Amino acid sequence: MIQPSESLEQAIDEKRAAEMVQQLREGRDRILSQVRRVIIGQDEVVEQVLISFFAGGHCLITGVPGLAKTLLIKTMGDTLDLTFRRIQFTPDLMPSDITGTEILEEDRSTAKRELKFLRGPVFANIILADEINRTPPKTQSALLESMQEHQVTVGGTTYKLDEPFFVLATQNPIEHEGTYPLPTIQQDRFMFSVIIDYLPKADEIEVVNSTTSKRPEKLDCVMHGKDLLLYQRIVREIPVADPVARYAVRLASVSRPTHPGAPDFVKEYVSWGASLRASHYLVLAGKARAVLDGRFGVSVGDIQAMAMPVLRHRIITNFRAEAARVKSEQIVQRLLETVPKPSSGL
Amino acid sequence: MAELDVSAGKLKEVTAQVVGQLKQVIVGQDEAMEQVLTGFFAGGHCMITGVPGVAKTLLISSLAKIMDLTFKRIQFTPDLMPSDITGTEILEEDISTGRRELRFVQGPVFANIVMADEINRTPPKTQAALLESMQEKQVTLGGRTYPLEEPFFVLATQIPFEQEGTYPLPEAQQDRFMLSILMDYLSEDDEVTVIKKSTSWGQVELKRLLSKQDLLAYQELVLTVEVPPELVEYAVSLVSSSRPTDATAPDFVKEYIAWGAGLRASQYIALGAKSRAALSGRMTVVPEDIQAVLAPVLRHRIGLSFRADVDKVTVEDIITRLVENMPVPARVG
Repeated sequence: MIQPSESLEQAIDEKRAAEMVQQLREGRDRILSQVRRVIIGQDEVVEQVLISFFAGGHCLITGVPGLAKTLLIKTMGDTLDLTFRRIQFTPDLMPSDITGTEILEEDRSTAKRELKFLRGPVFANIILADEINRTPPKTQSALLESMQEHQVTVGGTTYKLDEPFFVLATQNPIEHEGTYPLPTIQQDRFMFSVIIDYLPKADEIEVVNSTTSKRPEKLDCVMHGKDLLLYQRIVREIPVADPVARYAVRLASVSRPTHPGAPDFVKEYVSWGASLRASHYLVLAGKARAVLDGRFGVSVGDIQAMAMPVLRHRIITNFRAEAARVKSEQIVQRLLETVPKPSSGL
Repeated sequence: MAELDVSAGKLKEVTAQVVGQLKQVIVGQDEAMEQVLTGFFAGGHCMITGVPGVAKTLLISSLAKIMDLTFKRIQFTPDLMPSDITGTEILEEDISTGRRELRFVQGPVFANIVMADEINRTPPKTQAALLESMQEKQVTLGGRTYPLEEPFFVLATQIPFEQEGTYPLPEAQQDRFMLSILMDYLSEDDEVTVIKKSTSWGQVELKRLLSKQDLLAYQELVLTVEVPPELVEYAVSLVSSSRPTDATAPDFVKEYIAWGAGLRASQYIALGAKSRAALSGRMTVVPEDIQAVLAPVLRHRIGLSFRADVDKVTVEDIITRLVENMPVPARVG
């Protein structure tokens, strides 16, 4: 169990911060070994979700049903002592089904009637918003609003959400009628786009063997939720060298077809490039990755490793790309190949 | 009741008795009966699809009586609300103190066996309320969590999709059911038997054969049934060959399937095969166990392509071809 003695408000000097980063490296290994007891395979997904926890960002998860998304996310939450709620999004879900409602309550002794707020399922540390594209836009935006502001406003009163607060929203890639795809601008609010796919056969065999022969195990908690907040602060205090930050900005900006430095394939295939949030999240995710790795500085490698999950849902391809079967992943890959790396070799 | 002997041999005996009891009230439907029992002892929820009047409710309520479990039937209607399933909080006044308090009144989901009748007649939010309690075995209301009692089974029935005013269950929701069981019309002979029985005087008293504790103990036993490694691989290969994106998928899969079965299918085939083995008195799974549970596990997890519609290819056809296509591992031993 990692239990730093510092509080969130307390000043932490660089030496102590570096020490805490070292501790976290071991902590990460312990978290992973706990998660491995339940989740087999899906290394990339586990890594990305863990990074998003430490960076304090939300994830958009795309994958077909039946890949144990709920189990994966709940398990990761358990190791960090976080409360978990799953909300199944449906066409008839209303905003108040997410945020909560006010009910009238009477105090008998004073005969006064008062409105009491009943908290909705959004009041938890981790929200799994399952099949978010199945619900109409007004309900989607109720979630996205609380996601952005970490608070809920009902009837003029504002209620703070529990911290840390993460939303992991899933989208079903199977095309069918009656879905309301998230607008591009709304997708931009998610730090990562995580793709979850079928397991390789050997892993699937292992899952079948382990899940059908015993009851699920209880996991040890490795860190308290409130200490996670402290680490989120440490992540933000990690320095990033100028050339590295510049590289992140360049990666994002040349994905915009209107940018003078945009390569030809971007001009040909991209209709919308990555937003300002992209470079912000590239650096923030890079910092979290460095910290989880026990390093006190962001490298070019960190930025590159985060490019795919940060950029793929922010680059919108055009008709020509669709005709040529070019996906946004390929654009990101080619950006990584063409944008020159800083020479300092960090 | 005497000391419980939890072994596959004993379970086989008990199953024969249970089936014997069921046969007193239900005619035919042997396959559906076997599959429902497989689901029961595996602890998985079942979806039953069939025309009206094939004794779906009777089958389930009889099982509940034989196993001494509480049974609730919920008729799903277009105006059913989530709280009609899970329960509601009501305002209650303590007369002595005059204080009013919210008290939780349990909904019909608080039973061992819940029959969710015509689940696709209710709007999605209400469906989701049931499916959530199914998955999590608990109900959350007003920030408080109420656990459901074990064992907990949901048996949902659906009316055929073509009818108007239905809300088909989304794929992700269907995936939560372990088995999809078909109940069809009876043969003429069986139907005659039913008519003779149902129009005559006298009712059958069902005997109680198992207790809750027995059932839970047998469920634990099922988990310890052995699946030889080559059969796990056989099950996983069958499932992954249903995925059109899989490299090993045969051509007819690429042509007729829009999306294949996920990881849960592999898990449920293994679990279902274990349950079937134990019910037949074996502690080791054989290839026939896997083949027997394949169709009920896969049929609601495969989405057909438009092309399949045109060529009139059904999910059953596809499953049959998947089995033919996959070599059965050499006899174990």
